[in-house]
Amino acid sequence: MTDDVIVAAGVEKRFGRTEVLRGVDLTVPRGSVVGLLGTNGAGKTTLIKCMVGLLRVAGGQCRILGDDAWSLSPETKARIGYVPQVISFFPWMRVRDLVRYTASFYPNWNEELCGRLIRDWEIPADQRAGTLSVGQTQKVAIVLAVAHEPDVLILDEPAAALDPLARRQFLQLIIDIAGPGQRTILFSTHLTADLERVADRVAVLKSGQVTWSGLLEDLKEQTHLNLEESFLEMHHA
Amino acid sequence: MLFRVEPTSGTPITRQLSEQIRARCAGGQLRPGDRLPSVRAMAADLAVNQNTVLRVYERLTAEGLLERRHGDGTYVAGRLPAGGMRSQKEYLKQELRRLVEQGQMLGMSLEDMQQAMADLYEPEES
Repeated sequence: MTDDVIVAAGVEKRFGRTEVLRGVDLTVPRGSVVGLLGTNGAGKTTLIKCMVGLLRVAGGQCRILGDDAWSLSPETKARIGYVPQVISFFPWMRVRDLVRYTASFYPNWNEELCGRLIRDWEIPADQRAGTLSVGQTQKVAIVLAVAHEPDVLILDEPAAALDPLARRQFLQLIIDIAGPGQRTILFSTHLTADLERVADRVAVLKSGQVTWSGLLEDLKEQTHLNLEESFLEMHHA
Repeated sequence: MLFRVEPTSGTPITRQLSEQIRARCAGGQLRPGDRLPSVRAMAADLAVNQNTVLRVYERLTAEGLLERRHGDGTYVAGRLPAGGMRSQKEYLKQELRRLVEQGQMLGMSLEDMQQAMADLYEPEES
């Protein structure tokens, strides 16, 4: 068994005539925390949806935990946590019912972790999902994605709607559950400062291809630039 | 024991942290047999990835500066590696050189710098 948890090889995806992914190659080793960087429209969300099997690749292959992403076994699905960029809950459900409903799908739901996060993040458990703010909705989605203690956690712009305090708490959570060397986490973001704290690897997606991927420390040793400066440099040409 | 890293600097966190540990060993704030915080505690404290801290501990262990005791933790090695004292002093000299250059850029005289150092120097208690 390979130690690469996510493998994208030559992944292509187009919508109508628009080519979004044009041969993406990316491997994510077990236990790493990877930040997926890219400008708006670079294809981050499309790539992530291909990785979790919500979109079917037009060419190439996407594998996660050894399974083809498009035909994940129920066992593999139970080992993945996913927070989409656009979150939709049943608006009439109260948060506590939403939690109970989601928990019922997973045999290894961690009540303690779930309860602690809801308390720490001051999530209003009695409120109906439809009345939550964007930030609160994002918090609930993160809790629901981590409470079954997945081996792989994939988050699409998880911190975008969070206020500075919640973002710091979120980063602490990622640091806490991430390791060392155990859980694999991939998240897309354009907040480079967050990424520099929690990620040990970086992948840069540019016009449908991964143009750089590797250890963040290697990037810095090579460039002597911080991530934001590197990112701008990469998009300058 | 306070360590500080600047994640948004162009210098990797791994390098920042290992240089601080080295400097503390060279400066005597960390002595042979002292225990370092666990990987998890250090990562939580600095708010950085645990893999990053682990990598630093592993590298410094490979250099012989630290010692990892299985299931117990990470300690400053009982004896500095061969030529260790010399290399630690060498390292301190490099740091001094850097500071002196910075002082010169700020227009400090040698006397100013010596005074600043004297103010910071605490004689070892006997």
